[in-house]
Amino acid sequence: MKRMILARLVWTAAILLGVSFVAFMLVRALPGDFAQAAAGAQNVAPEVLEAARRDLGIDRPLLEQYLIWLGQAARGDFGNSFVTRQPVLGELLPRFIVTFQLTLIAGIIAMAMGVATGLASARLRGRADWIVRIYNGCILAVPNFIVATLIVLIVGLYFPQIAIFNYTPFFTDPLANVSGLLLPALSLALAVSVTISENTRAAVLEVSGQDFVMVARAKGLLPRTVLTNYLMRNAMTPIVTVTGLQVATLLGGSILVETIFAIPGMGQYLFDSITGRDYPVIQAIVLLASAVVVLVNMLVDIAYARIDARAQT
Amino acid sequence: MSDTVHMQAKEALRRGSSSYRRLPLTSGQILLGLGLFMLALMIVVTVLAPVIAPFDPSMTSASSLAAPSSQHWLGTDSIGRDVLSRLIVGGRTTLLITGVAVFLALAAGLVLGLLSGYVGGIVDDVIMRLLDVIFAFPVFLLAIAVVAGLGPSVPNLILTIAIVYTPAMARVVRGPVLSVKQWDHVEAARSVGVSELRIVTRHVLPMVVSPIVVATSLTLAQTIFTITALSFLGLGPPPPDPNWGGMLAEARQFMELAPLTVIAPAGAIVFATLTFIVLANGLREVLDVGSVG
Repeated sequence: MKRMILARLVWTAAILLGVSFVAFMLVRALPGDFAQAAAGAQNVAPEVLEAARRDLGIDRPLLEQYLIWLGQAARGDFGNSFVTRQPVLGELLPRFIVTFQLTLIAGIIAMAMGVATGLASARLRGRADWIVRIYNGCILAVPNFIVATLIVLIVGLYFPQIAIFNYTPFFTDPLANVSGLLLPALSLALAVSVTISENTRAAVLEVSGQDFVMVARAKGLLPRTVLTNYLMRNAMTPIVTVTGLQVATLLGGSILVETIFAIPGMGQYLFDSITGRDYPVIQAIVLLASAVVVLVNMLVDIAYARIDARAQT
Repeated sequence: MSDTVHMQAKEALRRGSSSYRRLPLTSGQILLGLGLFMLALMIVVTVLAPVIAPFDPSMTSASSLAAPSSQHWLGTDSIGRDVLSRLIVGGRTTLLITGVAVFLALAAGLVLGLLSGYVGGIVDDVIMRLLDVIFAFPVFLLAIAVVAGLGPSVPNLILTIAIVYTPAMARVVRGPVLSVKQWDHVEAARSVGVSELRIVTRHVLPMVVSPIVVATSLTLAQTIFTITALSFLGLGPPPPDPNWGGMLAEARQFMELAPLTVIAPAGAIVFATLTFIVLANGLREVLDVGSVG
């Protein structure tokens, strides 16, 4: 077990290093550099541009820039935003928390919906199974930004009393904050719930066929007890794993949903930074989001091995 | 004896050829048929787009945000362009990018997956570890970063989608190749001196086609999402050519005045995605493939 965790840690570190390199190179591939972008359409003397480049440190060789950036990033210093001149970390952190909150609520909704429909599908079989599977197929076909747009449209047309565009910070009014995030989270959660539902169905069906479930039934245990203590307990492992792996989808989708619902999260920040060619911010966001995904995947792997002795090889 | 069997068979054929045809269709066959029908519909509309579009999709008119009428079946948008025509022509851009990009991802995934799975050893390690790094990024975030870096144009979008979906494709190919290469018929082919290239193309590849076909269909569905979402964020094909994601984004501002301007492109995106999902599910059941990654 210790060996396995250690191996995963080393491997995760390697992946993170690779990810950081790709993130750095990607951003540096942006056409035109920031000095030029900042000058806009104006004609600026080449010497001024040169001075600006030197000032921002983007005149040095790429590899050197990467190593400097990496060393600072490891210490939590992502440099200053080219646009606001403020440290990136300070601007990014509050927005990251908003996105994290949105992702968390969406994850909970997706899990509740997915487990409920998947369980119904597997236990009731027959017509219920068909209804759930058709529903899942249809929901999967509706991208989250369309769900979000349609929610905004429906609320705007039929429920004008609901204010959807005023985001309330958590510490101003926790209740308003969470309830304001419910609709965005729902649009983010729908597609993810389908994946969870399908996996729940498969997991429960697989566990139902196992001998120990038959033994539990033969002993005369209540169907309720069999369901909660035998079926769900064993089916939970794959369900949790799948949910963990959906973090990437949730993070990616939050960019769209935040833009539509005007939530001041990381997604909106990223979108603004790309338009403004704000290299340090783009790098920090891409790196942070990918790091979260990599770390969650690692935790899922380790948790899986911890719960399921068979996966410890 | 053989005569009786022969007679029985003949009798069965004469009497039962129709009853044979009446065998109930499996759910997989129904889904596959439905999917193929939807796909055919989409291809016909896409190919004939300039012919069947009632108006020039970029032509503006004085009647902006008009309600549906006999002239403009789906109404007009904020600067008076015909929504139906934009929908039909916009599908062209969206589906063209999707089709070409997934084809490229499939080609790259096939080469990398076959190389990785069949050759194995250090080649496998190097390829899979490199792909793992790309795989670690959230797909949509990576797509945004790449397309923002390259600049939004049709070739760049195609390249971006191809890069983003290659690792998943390579994994889908590699898995079955790993087991197929140990099967007896491969061993037999090698023992009679068949060249490695021929073994891969004639003895390994045909055995792994089914999961690849299903995965391709699912990737097409995901690509429709990625491409329309990028366009929605303003990173899609540049104007004035219409595309579904861009139409949706443009229409948001006035959607309460003319809901159809939003519902039409949304419906088109859902239809296209649904087509590939239905197709994938039908193919999965008909080809008897388990769940694909």
